[in-house]
Amino acid sequence: MGKIEWAMWANEQALASGLIYLTGGIVGVAGQLKGWEFAAFGIAAGVFVCLLEYPRSKRAKGTSVERTGQYCFTVCVKAFGPLTRNYYVRAFLHAALCVPGGFMLATVLGCVCLGMASLIYLSAAIHGEHWEPIMPKMEPLKHAAQSIKHPPQNPPPRPPPELRRKRTDDLESAAYVNPIPVTANES
Amino acid sequence: MGLVLRSWVANEAGKHCLLVVWLAVSVWLFWRTFSLYSSGPQYYYLHQMLGLGLCLSRGSASVLNLNCSLVLLPMCRSLLTALRGTHQVNSRKARRLLDKSKSFHVVCGVAICVLSVVHVSAHLVNAVRFSVRYSDDFPALNLAQHRGQDPRVLILTTVPGITGVLLVLILFLMFTASSYSIRVCNYEIFWYTHNLFILFYVILMVHVVGGAVKYQTNVEAHPPGCIWANRSKASSDMWSNQEPQGETEEESKVASPIVCREDAHFQPHFPQTWLWVLAPLCLYCVERLYRCIRGSAPVTVVSVIRHPCDVIEVRMLKSGFKAWPGQYILLNCPSVSSFENHAFTLTACPTQNKETFGIHIRVVGDWTECFSHLLFPELEHSEILPMMHQRRYPKLYVDGPFGTPSEEVFNYEVSVCVAGGIGVTPFASILHALLDGCSQYKLRRLYFVWVCRDLQCFYWFAELLCGLHHKLWEENRPDYLNIRLFLTNTQQLQGLTEEKYRPLSSRLVIGRPRWNLLFQEIGRSNQHKKVGVFCCGPKGISRELHKLCNSFSTSGTVFEYNKESFS
Repeated sequence: MGKIEWAMWANEQALASGLIYLTGGIVGVAGQLKGWEFAAFGIAAGVFVCLLEYPRSKRAKGTSVERTGQYCFTVCVKAFGPLTRNYYVRAFLHAALCVPGGFMLATVLGCVCLGMASLIYLSAAIHGEHWEPIMPKMEPLKHAAQSIKHPPQNPPPRPPPELRRKRTDDLESAAYVNPIPVTANES
Repeated sequence: MGLVLRSWVANEAGKHCLLVVWLAVSVWLFWRTFSLYSSGPQYYYLHQMLGLGLCLSRGSASVLNLNCSLVLLPMCRSLLTALRGTHQVNSRKARRLLDKSKSFHVVCGVAICVLSVVHVSAHLVNAVRFSVRYSDDFPALNLAQHRGQDPRVLILTTVPGITGVLLVLILFLMFTASSYSIRVCNYEIFWYTHNLFILFYVILMVHVVGGAVKYQTNVEAHPPGCIWANRSKASSDMWSNQEPQGETEEESKVASPIVCREDAHFQPHFPQTWLWVLAPLCLYCVERLYRCIRGSAPVTVVSVIRHPCDVIEVRMLKSGFKAWPGQYILLNCPSVSSFENHAFTLTACPTQNKETFGIHIRVVGDWTECFSHLLFPELEHSEILPMMHQRRYPKLYVDGPFGTPSEEVFNYEVSVCVAGGIGVTPFASILHALLDGCSQYKLRRLYFVWVCRDLQCFYWFAELLCGLHHKLWEENRPDYLNIRLFLTNTQQLQGLTEEKYRPLSSRLVIGRPRWNLLFQEIGRSNQHKKVGVFCCGPKGISRELHKLCNSFSTSGTVFEYNKESFS
């Protein structure tokens, strides 16, 4: 029912798996476990994936919710143009980054999660989605109407003072109709 | 200062208390299991092999047991509705805790994720230790087949290992699809992944059967650290290289060495998780079955009315359907989508005089658009069609009703109902109930504040409001209902010009409401009373009202905040 935006889910998964990859890498390097070179690669890959995935894409339909402080990341990611716009590129990039993690116990979890995120990105790419940056909206400046430069020269037309004086004895004829109709200010 | 504290305590103390109790129980459980595994005699040899990883993993597993069982309970919605409605829970404070059931579910879910990380990391270390510290003396204790076996093979060839990996994957999928942005944008992804929980629980039951952690059964006959008559020590010499400190300590400790009478016997535990998890799981399954059966009777659509601003009112009839004002239902229309259930608050409940119940639907997403096309196939037709000329309406199924915080409006002496746009629906059912009779409730005064962006929106319930207003004036209770309507669209001068809506046009204010002034006015008129504030609307309004309720300190009035929320 309706179009599902796979890319949003893939983005959340990729961000979470980047963090898991990073944590696994830190544990591997800190504990000097066997194969710690893979863990060091895991740290670098985890940081890179987190930076790439932090800025959310603009939704095709509806309001997009930004992550806090994502504007600077959006600018960086946007600078790479079609490489980051296309989700096929992202899917293959994540698949390639996750493979070395499988060789070391501490980063295995990060590898599997990033692999899943890569699959969902592939599904998003097949459905024709792409990454759009969320740019802040520029409010158009409200200009004052042109009529503010040309104030009226004459006072509004009024009947002569004899008619304007209050005539309490004859209320019916004391009422007058404005010669020029009073309307709201068109601007 | 004391009054501000009093307001804060009235609003926030209950849920914070519950949170503190939950945290205390979790910490106690963790600590108890941790100390059991680190100093219990039946785990002595296992602890020597695995070290801290054993205690951390078992401690986190016990708290995981607690949370996996607690996480299901807030989702038994019919049970909570029954608890709320039948006044089994007599204290209002306890009923207000039921409002926070979804938040508690989220807290337990997050705790499960965090503890799983601890549990998995500890078990990864255990896997390495099982392989490196393979015990030749106690072969029954080992998980590895030989010394130095690759820990990854260990994980992938044992039952707890494989099931653990699957559990982590399912948890990862569920967790990443549950964030607020995904729930708002693509509810289906959240719903379908969250329903994987049943697979999670099934695999969890298998995970604990593995028997990787064993305890020693004959501690009296073979006290840990005892020595054999013809050998120098019961424990292996292999560990002497790694723990020289421990060895000297042990030698000095065992001044009068105890002699072993038997060989150590090991046995895996009875899976405790089954005791924790089976009861809530069965309760939840029974509840889903009950809801399925209750919702399987189709409803008859009596009439469909179109209102301005894309709102459709649907009046339905279902035998045996009973609901209280403020409750909501889940609507399922198989012609639109077989698996989607959408929540709509009842705007008119079935009464003794009138058996039909009604909902107001705002057409804003793809499901509601499809649904409205099915109800109004030709757009130019007139709005109301009586039953005689009934069209072929789509088949509908109704699940519910379910309880909400708005049911409490009648249990305060003074209530303030703040509605934003279509959020007026729970309060509409309350106004309908008041039309039938207002003397049987505890409620003595109702402030009705409705904020809309469009003037046409007020026409949804203009007749209801005017009708109730007139009825209360006739009954000489003019101060019962205080209506304030706010129109936030200030582009042109507008007003409700119809003669029959005169009571409303004089109570319509153009511009945003000033909550501070409104609350002060309500406080002055209701001194030293407890006022219930009910809000159903956008986040901005509800946040502001919540802050005001927590910090109100003049005139001795305490405002208790109750919020409706669906997603």
